[in-house]
Amino acid sequence: MTVDLSVHLGRLQLKNPIATASGTFGYGLEFAGFVDLGSLGAISVKGLSARPCLGNPPPRICETDAGMLNAIGLQNVGIEEFLSEKLPKLHEKGATVLANVWGDTEAEYRAVVERIGDDPRVAAVELNVSCPNVVKGGMVFGNDPAALHALVAAVRPATRLPLVVKLSPNVTDIVTAAKAAVDGGADVLSLINTLVGLSIDVETREPKIGFTTGGLSGPAIRPVALRMVWEVRKALPGVPIFGIGGIETVEHVLEFLIAGANAVQIGTASFRDPGVSGRLVRELADWCDRHGVARVADLSGTLKTRPRPEKTYV
Amino acid sequence: MVVNEALRILRTVRYDAAHFSVFLQAGSIAAAAKPGQFVMVQAGDGLRPYLRRAFSVADVTTVAGVPGFELVVRAVGVGTEALGRFAEGTPIPVLGPLGVPFPIDDLKQPDRVALVAGGIGLAPLVLLSRRLAERGIPADLFYGGRNESEVLKRPDFERFLGAHRCRYATDDGSLGKKGRVTDILGSALEAGTSYRRVYACGPTPMFRTLAGILDKAGIEGSFALESEMACGFGVCLGCVLPGRDGRFHTICTEGPCLPPTAIDWSRV
Ligand SMILES: Cc1cc2nc3c(=O)[nH]c(=O)nc-3n(C[C@H](O)[C@H](O)[C@H](O)COP(=O)(O)OP(=O)(O)OC[C@H]3O[C@@H](n4cnc5c(N)ncnc54)[C@H](O)[C@@H]3O)c2cc1C
Ligand SMILES: Cc1cc2nc3c(=O)[nH]c(=O)nc-3n(C[C@H](O)[C@H](O)[C@H](O)COP(=O)(O)O)c2cc1C
Ligand code: FES
Repeated sequence: MTVDLSVHLGRLQLKNPIATASGTFGYGLEFAGFVDLGSLGAISVKGLSARPCLGNPPPRICETDAGMLNAIGLQNVGIEEFLSEKLPKLHEKGATVLANVWGDTEAEYRAVVERIGDDPRVAAVELNVSCPNVVKGGMVFGNDPAALHALVAAVRPATRLPLVVKLSPNVTDIVTAAKAAVDGGADVLSLINTLVGLSIDVETREPKIGFTTGGLSGPAIRPVALRMVWEVRKALPGVPIFGIGGIETVEHVLEFLIAGANAVQIGTASFRDPGVSGRLVRELADWCDRHGVARVADLSGTLKTRPRPEKTYV
Repeated sequence: MVVNEALRILRTVRYDAAHFSVFLQAGSIAAAAKPGQFVMVQAGDGLRPYLRRAFSVADVTTVAGVPGFELVVRAVGVGTEALGRFAEGTPIPVLGPLGVPFPIDDLKQPDRVALVAGGIGLAPLVLLSRRLAERGIPADLFYGGRNESEVLKRPDFERFLGAHRCRYATDDGSLGKKGRVTDILGSALEAGTSYRRVYACGPTPMFRTLAGILDKAGIEGSFALESEMACGFGVCLGCVLPGRDGRFHTICTEGPCLPPTAIDWSRV
């Protein structure tokens, strides 16, 4: 059987549902020795800003149980160097590129998206409205539905490319945030970004991360991510979703698809095994073949939930 | 080229409760590895420890005729302890060789160099000693440890460099001079010895002191630096150290071997 791995996230068409997550795949080119970049569904590059950014002072990372905390502070080469040095090479390798962008202010977000414009070498723009590791911006937009709506609406006219909005999980109700982004003009949602966490060195009584708090990623966050994907799928059945959070195996990919994601992004797992994303494409095809699934897109949102029982008292 | 491969453990040699060497099958890493480069090793089932751990390629050698390379390890936590418990024959994922090696190609006779090791920082200096010996470049070793039993691989250093060129300092005076390794290097410099370059690996306080000594003496240095690493190949941007130029240096790709003048030691 030939399995059809292609997926459509609205206007964004991917050859398969395995993408890589921003900040965990560099500018893609660093992985060329481990993965055929053209074989991936998409590559979301390190978060780009209008000007190059130096990031936070170290220590920036620490390991936690089944995951890690990071506060990189969005260090990146800036949109100009990305467009002139990185994008042409990614394009040459046949990569489907998601340009992940951020800013401190609405105007900065808009400036970087305007600079990308309708560049045909970019498949979609992904707005990071949820980075917990910068002093200004980022989370403010992610936490306040009105600010999020205004931001997405302000950025929307700057490009005709599909607009992906990457939501923060650090909210009480992910559905409210999802609706605000979609109302503002988001075509696709990415969920989730990292969860804010804290780790302490008890000898020095200092936080292990220089920024004090950091973003938790890795297998530890997978159940939370999966639950959020499922909630948003139920509330907004027509909105395509990238599921992200602790994905390491084909079983994890399937969990996200079944919960309602149309595609997934592989994050921290690429640090441990740089070849994991390419391998998951092949393993997903094998799994579908073995299970008689002709189109991977048919798996999305097929969770069979049981009715929740009424409370019973004795 | 950097490769990601599963390599079998050929042998594990224990020195004391905390220190051991792991010899791994060569794969394509051993032949490519240069002194100062490192590998990222997955030591465990992938949940604990979660991330790979960085280790210097300490030596390229053979074990009972089988080509391999050696890691010298100090057990300090979950990953290093797990690495010491693997049975011989176990395949473990290894990524490497990574990073910028010690610069040695520009050395020529009659250049003379010094090697400064602090604690587990001896690791990358073994392979460096081997390569310098092959090239006939005379090198003096200054090696400091807590006590005699924590001074590792002495026979190798003394074989490569000559016993008369190896000087030791220990905290308790059980081997060599009682005191710090930077003291014995400092005395040698005061006595008029000069070096084309000083190669060093050790803990941050040693680096900081040594950077000051070299700066004052006007001697070039190359330090094999350390920082916590998630990926080891330049993509997480987690391993930075502050540079003198105000930027952050990505230690896994711009280093680990960098001149001490690149780093702002007041901010480390
Ligand atoms: C380029 C490079 C080369 C290295 N070469 C060697 C080597 O040849 N031999 C060797 O024994 N060690 C080496 N190290 C250090 C080694 O990577 C750490 O000791 C190891 O990651 C600790 O893992 P763990 O799980 O045992 O400790 P954890 O349980 O993770 O931590 C235990 C303690 O070790 C500290 N620690 C964790 N990671 C590092 C780190 N990368 N550097 C310093 N301290 C750390 C933690 O802050 C904590 O205090 C090297 C590190 C780098 C970056
Ligand atoms: C070191 C690191 C850097 C990250 N940088 C970014 C970033 O620049 N922009 C962004 O949108 N997300 C960033 N993320 C979040 C990831 O893209 C992803 O959403 C998150 O890590 C959860 O997925 P995971 O558990 O598979 O890693 C970063 C994550 C890590 C671990
Ligand atoms: S360890 Fe990831 S960039 Fe250096």
